[in-house]
This record gives sequence, structure tokens and C-alpha cells, in this order.
Amino acid sequence: MSESREEIPVQRPWMAIAQKVGTPILSAALAIAIGSFIMWISGYDALAAYSALFKGALGGPKQIGDTILRATPLIFTGLAVAYGFRAGLFNIGAEGQLFMGGLAAAALGVFLVGQPWILVVPALLIASALAGAAWAFIPALLKARIGAHEVITTMMFTYIARYLVSWLVVGPLKAEGQIPQTEALMPEAQLPRIQGLFSEGALEAFPFLNLGRAHLGIVVAIIVAVIVWLILKYTTLGYENRAVGFNAFASETAGISVQWTTVKALCISGALAGLAGSVEVMGVHHRIFDQFSSGFGFTGIAVALLAKNHPLGVIPAALLFGALSAGAGTMQLEAHVPQKIILIIQALVIFFVAAEEIILWFVRRRQKEAMSHAG
Amino acid sequence: MNSKMSKLVAVLLALMLVVAFLPACAQEEPAEEPAEEPVTEEPVEPVLKTAMVTDVGGLGDKSFNDLAYEGLKKAEADLNVEIQVLESKEITDYESNIDQLASAGYSPIFAVGFLMTDAVAKMAPEYPDTQFGGVDEFFEEVPPNVVGLLFKEQEGSYLAGVVAGLATLDTFDDKLNGDNVIGFVGGMDIPLIKKFEVGFTAGAKAVNPDVKVIALYAGNFTDQAKGKELGLSLIEQKADVIYAAAGAVGSGTIQACQERGALFIGVDADQYLTVPGSGDVMLTSMMKRVDVAVYDTIKAVIDGSFPGGELQVFGLAEGGVDLAPYHDFEDKVPQAIKDAVEKARADIIAGTIVVPES
Repeated sequence: MSESREEIPVQRPWMAIAQKVGTPILSAALAIAIGSFIMWISGYDALAAYSALFKGALGGPKQIGDTILRATPLIFTGLAVAYGFRAGLFNIGAEGQLFMGGLAAAALGVFLVGQPWILVVPALLIASALAGAAWAFIPALLKARIGAHEVITTMMFTYIARYLVSWLVVGPLKAEGQIPQTEALMPEAQLPRIQGLFSEGALEAFPFLNLGRAHLGIVVAIIVAVIVWLILKYTTLGYENRAVGFNAFASETAGISVQWTTVKALCISGALAGLAGSVEVMGVHHRIFDQFSSGFGFTGIAVALLAKNHPLGVIPAALLFGALSAGAGTMQLEAHVPQKIILIIQALVIFFVAAEEIILWFVRRRQKEAMSHAG
Repeated sequence: MNSKMSKLVAVLLALMLVVAFLPACAQEEPAEEPAEEPVTEEPVEPVLKTAMVTDVGGLGDKSFNDLAYEGLKKAEADLNVEIQVLESKEITDYESNIDQLASAGYSPIFAVGFLMTDAVAKMAPEYPDTQFGGVDEFFEEVPPNVVGLLFKEQEGSYLAGVVAGLATLDTFDDKLNGDNVIGFVGGMDIPLIKKFEVGFTAGAKAVNPDVKVIALYAGNFTDQAKGKELGLSLIEQKADVIYAAAGAVGSGTIQACQERGALFIGVDADQYLTVPGSGDVMLTSMMKRVDVAVYDTIKAVIDGSFPGGELQVFGLAEGGVDLAPYHDFEDKVPQAIKDAVEKARADIIAGTIVVPES
């Protein structure tokens, strides 16, 4: 949290933390409040809806597992977007890099049959990170060399990736059968479910371990989030990344290569998004098909915004979005509220995070007034 | 001190706003209760609770999700059953939605769309006492509590092919040109959609051996702009009757037909009714009666004749596929075409014509 101390040096650290954490929480609370207002005017029982939402997202170990399952890819894509933002880059194409990462894991996983789990899983994760980085490399190069805007190029590369996967699963990589999808991964290439790691006895003794569909990808996600945080905070790589994001001209003057930093930042961002693809393939679907991602790359932008681009903040932000998504089913079933309401609440969360700047502007103006009165 | 105070005030104000909204929601409860009472006081207990899970297309897709819902609603009205729909927002929802419905005691549960095949195969063993219906789902080994509901799309498409093959030779509408070319727009190039194309081509060639059938694929079921582009391209290549089996992509193709003058054959639902303002080009539609399959399955569960462990295939004979009325073209379409369709229908039902599927 020392970054905030650099920005606002006069504040005490706890104030800075409270401000950083407070606004996202406030945004979420406001979004939920306005969501209930919308439900109320649409004739739904908001209280029943939220209690159903809560029950479906956190009501028991299985439900918590579902929230974790849905948060896992969002942690990676949130990190991807946040890392780019910290270098002043808007990687809107995380979805495409995610597809390439998923493709690498699904395609390579079928070849690495017969190898031990301890080798295959890291190999696939690394391969998917490389695939994601490679997919971001050309847009990165175009940005660094000729200034082509990454919003356009990464987006275009997303279309290429999606259609490439779409073609491969009906064509060369299609498994036997009616459905356009690749062969299923062997167990040694899968990220196992957390509950599968414990014996029946252990699960009975500690029922909270019965986390349903949640898989080991969440552990990978948290480790990666910590690594990204350490990189940004303590390494030259991270320092240069932040410096370029803060002021590219000043960084250039200070002897940092803006071009090279841009390329590195987008490639690392792409690698993180690629990992999102492989954890979905290895932990959830065990294969790739046309619609295997539900726009996780785009939701990652919202996650990064809510986390204020802090790598560790991405974890709770992703969990919030995961919880909203996990509870939507129960909300439909028990309160008969359409799942689209959840999308509205998600949009409102983003809106209020963005609106934070407006609130801060008012606060600062009041402070200035107060100071001029005092003086 | 002042700045801290003002921040504190700002936070408190915002919190008050949150709290202020909560009573607003609570107030609405008593207002809702009287409206709900007549429902809960129904004299007859529902005989069963049935539900469906939509695929990510959701309700309002004017295709199989809506049609399956029609089947549920008909069952609710006729058979005194309680119905429930869970819409899926993402692929991850399939399993959890099925799980929730099964643990809430719904049976049969319909999973709509081939994308849910894996989810049904995974959840069915976990709920052996729950019955499942998988629309468009082909199982290598059907679990004992599942019925796969499949359709002979090729048979209905054959009839559409007969109409198109004869219409392109005719001049009953000024949108028909002198060239012997018809078109097909598919969603994805997968076996399920191939059945539509193969049946359509077979029907057209049967009545018009020299006809040229151009088939184009969009690569998905959602991109309407792509559908329009493909439609324009087909019209450019002289096609004057276009059949689209491509979900929402077809809406774009309808626009192309309206702009550049060609006739259109709809799919899944009677699209004359579901796509407003399309009557000037909508020659007919190949209806895939998902509603019939869903309704019949619910009925079978009530009768105790649920065909678990089987793949049920609904063709022309079972009323699972059929051509929709000609609507605005009813008076224009020559009797000869109508007779040819009737003959083909009778021959397929009798088994004298066996329509290929690939």
C-alpha cells in the first residue's frame, strides 16, 4: 500500500488504506441499494432477491465453491488488465489472449499423455502464459514502434483468436462426435477439484472443505496475484512499469526505455490473460470449445477498475463478481428475479467506481475551501 | 481535522443513502402479498414441478429456448404442473442451474441446447431420481434417467427444399428471378446444421435436378451483420430463395432479402409470427417443434411412461418438424407447389422417401 503514500504523502497510511478500500466497498453498497430500487419499481421483492443471492453465493461450502470457481478466471483477467493499466496501457483484448491460452492448454494437454501430473500441469500453465504473451506481442510491438493504439489492435486480435478457435474446434482439433469441441484432457492434465484432494473421512470431519466445483486454479490465481504485487512493488521491472504509466515523458528523460517497457507490460498482461484460459480449460471444461469463455476478458476490465488496479485488490473484486454470478441462479429460482438484474448491479458497481472521481473532486474542493478559510 | 470531518460526513451520508433504500424495498412486500395469494391458494396441488435451463441464448431468442418455454407453458395450462425457467448467463451456469433445480425437487428438468450435453451427463448420475430431457443433445450412452430429444431436421428441410426448388422456377412473385439458383445460410458448420443443408438440397434436387444450391456458413448463431452479408452475397450470386438455419444470424439474412428482393424460408419457429414485419419475404418456415417434444415428455412423466435411457427422434411422422403456413403467400403459391409438398410429406411419413442427413 506504499504506492498510495507516494501519491498522497501528507496522509497517514491508515487513512490512505481506508480511502482505497472504502470507495470500492461504498460503490458496491450503492450499486446493491440502487439495484434494490430497480427491483422494487419492477415489482420484485428485493429483500427476498438479495437473501437468495446471498444463499446462492455464500450459503454453504458448495455455494462458496461456486463463487470461487467463477472468481478464478476473473482474478487472472483482472490482473492482466490491471498490470496494463499500471503502465498506462488499456489491454481491452484480454479475451483474445485468454482464448489463445486456453487453446494452448487444450491442444498441448492432449499430447502430453502419460507424463506425471507434477510435470504436465506446470508445463500447460507456462505454455498458456506464453501463448497469451505471444498474442499480445504483435499489438505491443505495433504500439511501441509505430504508436498503433492498443485498444484497436488487441481488440482486433481478439476477433482473430476467437475465430481461430472456432475454426479449429469444428475442423482440425475436433473430437469424435456431434459436438464441436476438442478431446477431453486426461486426468494428469487437469486441475483437480479441491474437495477431491481430501479423503471421504476428512470431508465428513471438515464439511467446509466440500467446495463443490472449486478447483486448484484458485490457489494458482492467488499465488500469481502475490507475485504480480511483488513485481510491481519491489522490482525494477515493476518500477519501470509504474513510472511509464505515471508519466511516460519523464520516464524517458530518466533513462527508462518507454518502448521496451510497453512491450514488456503488454506481454506480461497477455500472459496473465492466457493463464485465465488455461485454468478454465484445465479446471472446468477439460477441453476447449467455441463459447468456453463467457467474456471473462471483458469482465476483467471491471474487476481491475473495482480493484483500483491493485494486484491484491483484484482478488476480492473478482470474488464479488463471482458471488454475483453464482447467486444469480438461486435468485431466479427463489425470488423469480431475472438474471439480467445481476448484470445491472454489476454495471452499477462499475459506474460508481468510475463516479468516485466525481465524489473525490467535491471532497477536494471542500478541503480547499476549508483551508482558505483557515488561512 | 476539517478534511477528516468532511470525509467522515461524506461516508456517513452515503451510508444513510444505502439505509434509506432498504425500507423502500421492505415497503413493497405487503403490496405484493395480496397479488400472490390467489396463486398459492390454488385448489388443486400441481401434479409435478418441471423446469428448464436455457442455454446462453436465453429467453427471447425466438428459437429453441423460447419454443421449449412454449412447451412448458402449454403443460402448465393443460396438465396442471408447476413450471420454472432458469436462464444461463454463462457456460458455468449450466451445471449449477441444473443442480439447483434438481435439489429443489424439479423433475423433469429440460436442458436446452447441445452445449449442455456434458452438464446433463455429469449431473444425471448425481440425481438418479430426477428425470432429464436434453433438447438437441446426443448421448453416446444415454443415462437411465435422461431422454435425448432429437429432431429429424433433414425431413422438414426437405419440404423447404421442395418449396424453394419449385419456387425458383416459378414467377408467382416479382422477387423471383430467371436463374435456377437457391441459397442456404448455416450457423456453424457442424453435423446438427449440416442436416438442414443436406435435407434442403435433397428436397430441391428431387423436384428440380438442375438447381444450384449455394450454402454459406456464418461461423456462429448470433452475428446478424454476418447474416446480412451472407444473404447479400447469395443474392449477388442470383439466389432468389434463401433458407437460413442459423439462429439470430437469420434476422440479418431477412434484411438482405427485403433490401435486395429475394424470398426467405425461416427456421425453428414460424418466423412469420416471431419476426415482425418480415411478411413480405417470408415464404414459409421449417418449424422444429421443441415445444411438442417438451410437452410430450412432461406428459410421459405424468403417465409413467418416461422413456429414460433413450434417444427420442422427432420427425415429420411424430409432428416434430413441419412446414409453417405460407401466410401472405398463401394465395400466390401455385397449387402445384402445395401438392408437391403434400406428396413429399406423405412419402417421407410412409417411408418411401428416406432423407439423408449427411
